[in-house]
Amino acid sequence: MIRLENVTQRFRVIQERPDTLRELFSKLFRRQTSYHDFEAVRNVSFDVPAGQMLGVIGRNGSGKSTLLKIIAGVYRPTSGVVQINGSIAPLIELGAGFHHELTGRENILLNGLLMGYSKRDMLERQERIIEFADIGDFIDAPVKQYSSGMYMRLAFAVATEVDPRILLVDEILAVGDAGFQEKCFERIRNFRASGKTILFVTHSMNDVQEHCERVLLLEQGSIVVDGRPEEAIAMYKSLTTPELVGAH
Amino acid sequence: MIELIRNSYRYRELIWALALKELKIRYKRSVLGFMWALLNPALLMLVLTLVFSSIMRFPIPHYAIFLLSVLLPWTFFAQSLSYAVESIVTNGDLIKKIAVPKLVFPMAALVSNLINLLLSLIPLAILVPALRHPFYWTWIYLPVPLLALAIFTLGMTFFFAVANVFYRDVAHILQIVLSAWFYLTPIIYPLDLMPAKYHWLFKLNPIIYVINGFRLSVYYGQLPHLQSIAASFVCAFISLFIGFSIFRRYQDSFVFYV
Repeated sequence: MIRLENVTQRFRVIQERPDTLRELFSKLFRRQTSYHDFEAVRNVSFDVPAGQMLGVIGRNGSGKSTLLKIIAGVYRPTSGVVQINGSIAPLIELGAGFHHELTGRENILLNGLLMGYSKRDMLERQERIIEFADIGDFIDAPVKQYSSGMYMRLAFAVATEVDPRILLVDEILAVGDAGFQEKCFERIRNFRASGKTILFVTHSMNDVQEHCERVLLLEQGSIVVDGRPEEAIAMYKSLTTPELVGAH
Repeated sequence: MIELIRNSYRYRELIWALALKELKIRYKRSVLGFMWALLNPALLMLVLTLVFSSIMRFPIPHYAIFLLSVLLPWTFFAQSLSYAVESIVTNGDLIKKIAVPKLVFPMAALVSNLINLLLSLIPLAILVPALRHPFYWTWIYLPVPLLALAIFTLGMTFFFAVANVFYRDVAHILQIVLSAWFYLTPIIYPLDLMPAKYHWLFKLNPIIYVINGFRLSVYYGQLPHLQSIAASFVCAFISLFIGFSIFRRYQDSFVFYV
């Protein structure tokens, strides 16, 4: 279960952030403040009951990824309350914890430890992860030799084999060949069938329509629609269309 | 402080894995691999011994042992800081993408260098009888100064890792600070060589108490006075307390600055 109450994430956008002491001193003496605050997520509240698959859509920069990162615990929100029940597998930027010089097998362990699992957990699951990733002998080669498809397969396998209660998916299924994509969706369907909570960020209206029972539409950090997919998709289209006409 | 102990225990496997990763990468693609962790200090010792026994002669018997007994712990201190100061910034991508406890990065830098220090004691233990310097029983006392040194260093790594997140100059300043600190600490010279009226100045340098135990037990075959041991642990815990308090206070904002 996920519960957010009046969550706001404010970023300080600093023009020419004083990265060095010299800049800091020159800033101090000129006494100018060159930043503005920007709310990437603004006063967002919603509940996701266990077992629901919630789609999150919105234009670029509407706050979708920030929202996922707040739930994943990467950001501590500026204000508001975040309550999470159960372990989370964030499928945001897959393979973020991989180190290029280490082999696939070494990365399985390191990545699992980074996500908060124990060594024993990971060793138990290692064989199943390797089987699902299906990259053959490459498992003992450094991951810098992997193709991007192989990299993603291994990352997806690690992130989903750990048996999380909550899955955060950020547009990762656009990689890999058709066969592997089908395997991923198959796994997500299984997760759903076994009562896990899934948050699914995407730009693909077809996927939202097909997989989600409820959809959030974000615009400038706020929730505009929280309801049935048809409703959210219709609103999304009305938001994006004039912009496209204007752009061309 | 309890939080620090609890978290280091909780993430011990991760810290260990990151430390091993660091070492693995350091020695990757070299023919001798991990052997370099032993060879490096061994060759350094060989060079120092040759230089100081034939070229530059100090009025100190077995000068190489005199020097190495504190140079090795100093190298650990300096290297740990140099690694740790960048540890949050270089792992910035990770911090921005995964909810990971930030303290594991400076701690892993410390642990990997601690492994190096322990390994470098092996060639030292070989060198001591090879140079016909007595092998004192006081070697068994080494875990005590090692502990004080590790705690002292950990506090400093926390401090510098945080400072460098906000001002990248810190990594450069650190190198200058370390080299000045090196010469101001009686490492290449004995404290007695300094005029007695300045001794009080040297006693303000906290790391003296911490590394003093190494020279006493390896070179002189003595144990430090109780006050000196107490001073080393007081310095160590003050360093850890300040370093960790600052780290704890700022760790949630790292993600916005890396």
